[in-house]
Amino acid sequence: MARQQGWLALILALAIAAGALLMSFPLQLGLDLRGGSQLTLQVLPAGTVKKVEKEQLEAVKDVLERRINGLGVAESTLQTVGDDQLVLQLPGEQDPSRAAKVLGTTALLEFRAQRAGTEREMQGLLRLKRQAEAVLNQRRTRVAASVQGQPEPAKASFAAEDLAKALTGLGISVPEGATETEQLELLLDAVNRKVVALYEPAQLTGKDLTGAGRQQQQTGTGWDVTLSFNREGGEKFAALTQGIAGTERLLGIVLDGRSISEASVGPQFKAAGITGGSASITGNFTPEEARDLEVQLRGGSLPLPVKVVEQRSIGATLGAENVRTSLVAALSGLALVAVFMVVVYRLAGAVAVIALSLYALFNLALYALIPVTLTLPGIAGFILSVGMAVDANVLIFERVKEELRDGNTLIRSIDTGFSLAFSSIIDGHVTGLISCAALFILGTGLVKGFAVTLAIGLVLSLFTALTCTRTLLRLLMSYPALRRSTYFLPAAQLPGSAA
Amino acid sequence: MTASPDLKSAATQAAPSPRFRISRYRRLAWGGSGLACLLSVIGLVLSWLNPAIQAPLKPGLDFTGGTQIQIERQCERGRCPAITAPQVQQQLARLDLPAEKGDKAPNISSVAVQLLDQGQSIVLRLPALGPEQTSVVIQKVNDLAGPLNKAGTSVDTIGPTLGLQLLQGSVLSLLVSFAAIALYITARYDRIFAVLALVALAHDVLITCGVFAWLGLILGIEVDSLFAVSLITVAGYSVTDTVVVFDRIREQKTLLGSLPLEEQVDVAVDATLTRSLYTSLTTLLPLLALIFFGGSSLFWFAVALTIGIGVGSWSSIGVAPTLLPVLARR
Repeated sequence: MARQQGWLALILALAIAAGALLMSFPLQLGLDLRGGSQLTLQVLPAGTVKKVEKEQLEAVKDVLERRINGLGVAESTLQTVGDDQLVLQLPGEQDPSRAAKVLGTTALLEFRAQRAGTEREMQGLLRLKRQAEAVLNQRRTRVAASVQGQPEPAKASFAAEDLAKALTGLGISVPEGATETEQLELLLDAVNRKVVALYEPAQLTGKDLTGAGRQQQQTGTGWDVTLSFNREGGEKFAALTQGIAGTERLLGIVLDGRSISEASVGPQFKAAGITGGSASITGNFTPEEARDLEVQLRGGSLPLPVKVVEQRSIGATLGAENVRTSLVAALSGLALVAVFMVVVYRLAGAVAVIALSLYALFNLALYALIPVTLTLPGIAGFILSVGMAVDANVLIFERVKEELRDGNTLIRSIDTGFSLAFSSIIDGHVTGLISCAALFILGTGLVKGFAVTLAIGLVLSLFTALTCTRTLLRLLMSYPALRRSTYFLPAAQLPGSAA
Repeated sequence: MTASPDLKSAATQAAPSPRFRISRYRRLAWGGSGLACLLSVIGLVLSWLNPAIQAPLKPGLDFTGGTQIQIERQCERGRCPAITAPQVQQQLARLDLPAEKGDKAPNISSVAVQLLDQGQSIVLRLPALGPEQTSVVIQKVNDLAGPLNKAGTSVDTIGPTLGLQLLQGSVLSLLVSFAAIALYITARYDRIFAVLALVALAHDVLITCGVFAWLGLILGIEVDSLFAVSLITVAGYSVTDTVVVFDRIREQKTLLGSLPLEEQVDVAVDATLTRSLYTSLTTLLPLLALIFFGGSSLFWFAVALTIGIGVGSWSSIGVAPTLLPVLARR
């Protein structure tokens, strides 16, 4: 009896602890339950790196984390998944496309001097670039202007045949049905790559930056991105500008292999180069572009390129709807099982229902403690595990009934029932856990959530079905008034009094 | 487990006359299961031959890769300006998408548009799009059928390579869990039991797949990674169910060992019949709650589990035990 009381005290203590735990640690809801976006970024091997190593994954993560902080998105989390993936979660209605754009760019900034003897080629390319930019810019501002009701600015244009000639001259095949805007963008991209080929190798890169900022241009509508270098970078920049000062050669600012700005350096810098350790990129940026570039430059360039391979976004109301429906399903599932148990197993069934409630309580407390982020499949795993948790009780009670039918006393039947059902219960739980392990090790995010909740459920149900039910049943059996076989089995099924 | 003296009384009383003799119906049981398996195989093959599917089961977004956008319109007093799916389709097909990260923008002229709830929700199926391209598409729909309810929008994009990874992962975890379960049963019981447990398990998984092959053919239902999860869960559960009967046969071996195996099986099945049915029932009840109240996201998942567990309960009574005498004789 003392042992029973010990168990009872333990169960009560656990129940109180679980309740307190749930009060103080709220359950973590996954994005599919509270709304938000999830982006999976794949880190790609590049250059000499054939396989992404752990340190490289961490290095990519560091850069991305700095960029996320720069973007100022609230409560976002970035986690590594597997060997070469990162998962970014953005709760609420934050725009995932902006984050994807900022995170997905390598942002390798280079300062390069133009090679001697390429002046004429450069001029031709820049003329094309300015013209294409002017037309594209005008399109962009015209859309904005028509919204704001401002008069349209003077027209820039690019004659169709000139455009076609320029494109073929650069060796670009235009896809069929491409609009003029698309053709212009293609041209611009090709020119920007071509320009880079005219530069010497990089003498100064974004590594030497200490900060980045942005400011509106004094003339014009665009934005500039300002840069400041560390001492070494400042010296390199001075040397670089000194070398080309007063010549026709240009200083190129190259981002991810595309020229974003070309500047001439005046003869007054011939003596010492541009000193002071700062510079600005006049790239005619929109405010958003300037902001994004600033964030990327501050965060540093990515050691390896990344690619968005998965996006899942769920609106907040859809998430709330998911919570509501799964809550209803879980509660009605529990209720159905409870009714079934009480009808079929009477007093023992009622005890099982109490054990089942404890099971649900412990389960939720463990979710809060570990913590398990609850997702929709996770809740499904929980609901399913409720059904499986009762299985153990059914096996035991059927065994008890059998013993009673054979004319054994109640107490003895209960003890035998528990000990004989034990081996099938263990088998069932072990095979269930094997399936969970396979799911957890080989599955992905969604599947893992289900496997974790189901596995926790299986382990817990061993405890509640065996220990809780048994302790409670024993406790009840210590009251003679309850010690009646008819509380377990209809009288008709009991063997006659003669047995 | 424990050699309890109570065993004797239990077994000797049940032994002479099991109320229900499964071996009498075994031809019927085999016939029924055989027919169901045959129909399942036919469904899988038909689906494979179907030019629109070309796979045993119709693969969903998770496995093929692609983008699915579900959009909810904001309508005053529940009435939205009428639009039709072809209208939206034509407009979207003409849309220019920005190139993303140097990759060419995918051709979305094959966009599939579906209207739900009298045009209140729009579901789009597209090739895999980048996040920026996705927002361009949503913006276009906003222009066409807006205003949209931003909180009611959901986007799922699975890159093509990730889809393949998911598929391989699902198949691999299915096979690994089969093998691990077989090893466990062999260690705990006997090779014959392990073979039978696997036969029952294969039977359950095959029929569940078969039903979804037919659902895919007739209703266009697709399978996703949750379906793979349900198959693995069914596999685990099927074995749990089958083991209860085997455990009983082993337990009564010392007492009934002299009887013919058919007799032993009949006694074991009869003794465990109620609990087999009840354990399945207690698992099916929460699943039914999920089907009726769980919302659309988990509906087909719950259906797959319900079918699998229902069939699993049947195979643990009618298939695995009745095959034991046949197999043991060899």
